Amino acid sequence: MTGAHRRILVVEDDPETAGQLVEELTTSGYDVDLAANGREALDRSAARDYAVITIDRMLPDIDGITVMRQMRDGGIAVPFLIISALGEVDDRVRGLRAGGDDYLVKPFSFVELLARLEALGRRSETVAKETIVRVGDLAVDLISRTASRRGRKIPLLPKEFQLLEYLVRNEGRVVSRAMLLQHVWDLHFDPSTNIIDVYVGRVRRKVDDQQAYPLIHTIRGIGYCLRAPG
Amino acid sequence: MLLAKTLKSSTYRLALIAIGIFGLIVSAIFLYVYWSTASYVRGRADRAIVAEQASLRDTYTRSGRDGLAALIGQRVADESFADHVYLLAGPGSAVLAGNLTQWPAGAAEQGWAEFRAPVPSSASADPLVRGVTEALARGDRLLVGRDISDLDGFTARIKAAGFAVIVLIFALAAVASIAVTRRTVGRIESINATSRAIMLSGLDQRIPLRGSHDEWDRVAENLNLMLDRIEALMGDVKQVSDNIAHDLRTPLTRMRGRLEKAYHAPRNGEGDAALIGDTIADLDTVLGMFASITRISEIETRARRGAFRTVNLVEIASEVVELYDAAAEQVTTRLELAGEPAVLVIGDRDLLFDAIANLVDNAIKHGLAGGRVTVTCDGDEGSAVISVADDGPGIPADQHDRVFKRFYRLEQSRYTPGNGLGLSLVAAVASLHGARIELRDNAPGLLCRLHFPAAA
Repeated sequence: MTGAHRRILVVEDDPETAGQLVEELTTSGYDVDLAANGREALDRSAARDYAVITIDRMLPDIDGITVMRQMRDGGIAVPFLIISALGEVDDRVRGLRAGGDDYLVKPFSFVELLARLEALGRRSETVAKETIVRVGDLAVDLISRTASRRGRKIPLLPKEFQLLEYLVRNEGRVVSRAMLLQHVWDLHFDPSTNIIDVYVGRVRRKVDDQQAYPLIHTIRGIGYCLRAPG
Repeated sequence: MLLAKTLKSSTYRLALIAIGIFGLIVSAIFLYVYWSTASYVRGRADRAIVAEQASLRDTYTRSGRDGLAALIGQRVADESFADHVYLLAGPGSAVLAGNLTQWPAGAAEQGWAEFRAPVPSSASADPLVRGVTEALARGDRLLVGRDISDLDGFTARIKAAGFAVIVLIFALAAVASIAVTRRTVGRIESINATSRAIMLSGLDQRIPLRGSHDEWDRVAENLNLMLDRIEALMGDVKQVSDNIAHDLRTPLTRMRGRLEKAYHAPRNGEGDAALIGDTIADLDTVLGMFASITRISEIETRARRGAFRTVNLVEIASEVVELYDAAAEQVTTRLELAGEPAVLVIGDRDLLFDAIANLVDNAIKHGLAGGRVTVTCDGDEGSAVISVADDGPGIPADQHDRVFKRFYRLEQSRYTPGNGLGLSLVAAVASLHGARIELRDNAPGLLCRLHFPAAA
């Protein structure tokens, strides 16, 4: 995300949650505007350009989904992160279908929120066009769907490749377990087991074992990050 | 008590109305039959009398008083005219001819009348006679009539029979309606009594059956089944809340103790950080449990069939197998997919994935380390079946039903990770899809099968 474009609109009616969000996001280097209801959100989004808009589903005046739809109809292409206390899959899917780009279910951890904002902000930038993505000595060929380190091919199953591809596309950013489930497996719920960790563990063994340096790093309490040293 | 209720009951009132209407109709029919029979018979008699009167008048006109007297004498003597009544009287009621000894008291001076008079040829002593009187020339009067005792007896019998029938019908109807109403009221009363008992004491009461297999027994059976279901659900709710209390209290108590200890201790950067980290992890466990509970409730209570599509069970199963392959590898268990290449069902991919994932997760976790877990998809005309089999210790047959209850955990697995919600979710997803769950001994191990209705 470019430094010039780190302004986020937070639409949240609960003052304490809003305060925490603003504080956390400001600490992480974002400029934050706050809207306490749907009307204010519409006014602010019309007046200013934002990198990401986070929106609560339940607002005192207009429903979050309706606000989002009105903004989309008004030609606003900013990515939306829906924050909802309604956790059921239907609500998530409905939120996404209505024009949301991602969702987060309350209660959430700020690390998870930041990870998702980073991913969304990146999406609003130009999408990489190259067919081979390189991170350190890792080369991922998006066309032939193969990966190699220092020229040695890494044998990967299709899902393992998808997982590596997602990590590579988000190079240097923290990716949460829920984000992996969502983007690699298209699952909109959390299986309450450590299955993702086990799976990533195997991919990591294939990618990092007997190499000069590790690429896949565990970020405690949230997920993973793929980055080259230095 | 019961009689008072019977008389007050709506069934009884309806029966009374029905009896009333039925009785009125029967009475009307009877009256019509009586009236039409009587008037027909009387009409025939009247026509015969009028014809006879005319012929006698002719004789009087042609042959005078003596001629007529002679004719009447002949008629009276004739056997075939036995039920006829004739009387020719001169001025001052002097009897000139006929089979009556005197002018009858009830006979009219002129025109029609019915009266009683002693007719010698009649079977009865004082029969009823219907006759017509006509004034002739010179103060003579002619009475021509007929003994209508037979007709009278006939109509009287019709009348008596009619009354008897009506009275009998009313009596039978009254008895029947009281009996039927009493029975109905009795059955309803036993249902009411059970309902009151349930409201007062608890769900252990049931409506008694009479073993008659009639509609009342069926109502009672269904109500009893409903009560069984309610009782089971109440039991579930109680067990779930007990389990929630237990399973949530444990991490909450841990957190509270940790925080309390830290609160009284001096601040210590590194220790505090570890403590906060642990507390957040515990909180996440609690929140995760909440999420699972609400998810199961939502699946159980909501009809999400709107989001259903035709999905390939094998595709979902192979994705699950792939996801869990690494976990199986970790405990050197072989995880395999077998069966047909495509088995279609109508359902929700996410929910089916979740259910199959839970079954596979259980099979790997509770199966033998270094064992084998097989996921098999089969389909035929009638149904689609997915089964997950392991070769671990299995589940004792008497616990097969209980493992689907929320938070239920076998003694042997109380300390393995998990929250006892997995199979509840599987059960909820299965029931939403109309699928039947079957648990079987895999000798050794557990075989869990989901039978889905056919996709077509």
